[in-house]
Amino acid sequence: MNGSEIFGAWIAVFLTLGIFSYLYKDNPFYKIAEHVFVGVSAGYWMAMAFWTQVQPNLFGRLWPVPEGEISGFFMKTWYGIYNFFGAIVPSVFPDGGINKGHGHDPHFIYLLPFALGIMMLMSVHSKLSWLARLGIAYTVGMAAGLRAYAFLNSNVLGQIKGTAVSFVDMPFFSLTGVSVFNNLIILVGTITGLLYFYFSKEHSGNFGKVTRVGIYFLMISFGASFGFAVMGRISLLIGRFTDLISYGGSTYNYASLWVLLLMIVLLTIWTIKGDKQATS
Amino acid sequence: MEKFLDFIVRAGALDRRVIFAVIAVVVMLPLFFPLGLPIRASNSSQAVYDVVEDLKAGDKALISFEYGPSTMPEIHPMTVALLRHLFEKDVKVYITCLWPDGQFMAMDALEQVAVNQYHKVYGEDYVLLGYRPGAEAIIKGLVSNIRKVFTVDSRGDFLDDIPMMVGVNQVADFDFLFSASAGYPGTVEWVQYAADPTGVTMSTGTTSIQVNEVMPYVQSGQIVGILGGMPGAAEYESLIGQPGIGTSGMDAQSVAHIVIVAFIIFGNISFFIERRRSKKY
Repeated sequence: MNGSEIFGAWIAVFLTLGIFSYLYKDNPFYKIAEHVFVGVSAGYWMAMAFWTQVQPNLFGRLWPVPEGEISGFFMKTWYGIYNFFGAIVPSVFPDGGINKGHGHDPHFIYLLPFALGIMMLMSVHSKLSWLARLGIAYTVGMAAGLRAYAFLNSNVLGQIKGTAVSFVDMPFFSLTGVSVFNNLIILVGTITGLLYFYFSKEHSGNFGKVTRVGIYFLMISFGASFGFAVMGRISLLIGRFTDLISYGGSTYNYASLWVLLLMIVLLTIWTIKGDKQATS
Repeated sequence: MEKFLDFIVRAGALDRRVIFAVIAVVVMLPLFFPLGLPIRASNSSQAVYDVVEDLKAGDKALISFEYGPSTMPEIHPMTVALLRHLFEKDVKVYITCLWPDGQFMAMDALEQVAVNQYHKVYGEDYVLLGYRPGAEAIIKGLVSNIRKVFTVDSRGDFLDDIPMMVGVNQVADFDFLFSASAGYPGTVEWVQYAADPTGVTMSTGTTSIQVNEVMPYVQSGQIVGILGGMPGAAEYESLIGQPGIGTSGMDAQSVAHIVIVAFIIFGNISFFIERRRSKKY
């Protein structure tokens, strides 16, 4: 075990216990862990997005390594701009173009998303912030169009197909497998659940009784969601405890025990001081 | 009797920190002293196992890692178990990541299984294509042309130089699709943009909290089976006969559930007693 791994374990223990300390009450350890998490996440996401998408897929398509000699006034000017940026940030714009494996001509169509991206950034400028609307409008329109078909195909048609259940050639009752009884539950649950969300008729009389069945199905679904949520949270707790236990061993110089002890002592002092200040 | 009812009412008004402490203790104890409770595979876990079991040596499986350290305890055990099963059957494994930290999860799982356990060769038996931001746009890109989205893999090697990428151009070229998902983008997007349009058999492993959202796709047959959270992972580990992290956490999981159910029952009884008393006066 090298030093950096042990140091990493101590940091992990500190951040884990820092977050857990919120269960006692809001305190400086929790604040530190929370702020570190937000900062690191934002920075990491931004760096990943730039180096895996913007640099190779935008700049790489606008200024690829040319297949042959750069010729013509336009291309020389185009790569002249690239060289200018390359002189400022050579890591982003390496010498000779961005290598994407198979040489190709610049794809100038990518200037469009490039321009829209820059317009999005204009939102920080009060006078030019209106330009951001164009970028946002494109994103919203594209996403809506992209999702419309997929949603219709998978969530509407696919699900309707799924509820078109059969009632023949199967046992009447089975606890886990396909059966007439289970298919009846699917059918009744779907119809009554949908009717519950039909608001053009008052939910009274026989219609009200049917929609009430729909509510029961919804409540069972919420209960199942709650159960799964609890299960998930306990799993995450087990994961953290497993790590804390392994970091509490001699290999990591008893990181968990020392950090826990230190945190308890400092939190006690902090609480006593806070109480005294409140009294005075 | 009245004293007993008073005790229950007092228990209902317990400081939440006491409840946290009790949960911490009951989760921690089985980790030190395992109970060895039996694990029985559910139908949905069995369905995932069966679909992988039906794959032949040389078939191609595309696995997408859409989770990070925050959901690692739930999903990592199942991806590790799934990789074990796939490599055991000599299936070619292709990995993509729709979450930035998914790449590190994939690297860790591959290190454990492909490198240390099965001694597989990178580029011939498995490839880590890496992370690309863009959510469903990336999935749509993979469906039309993988090389539009990935020109290089996570190591910076050109796709055309990787032996196992020969003849693999789009999602339809795969025999099996698996989404290890902790949220958006994840399983739902893979169903909508890849599995449904191409008809490639797809299974999934999700966090527990997502199971209710994904289950309708399983019921309708759009997804074949689902591994739900840590129990799903433990069931898969038992099916392949290789107990791992999922199995070891299940004792703690079961005991914690019993205690939480007990708290819920106590809380409700306490609530009803208090309500009855307030009505009385």
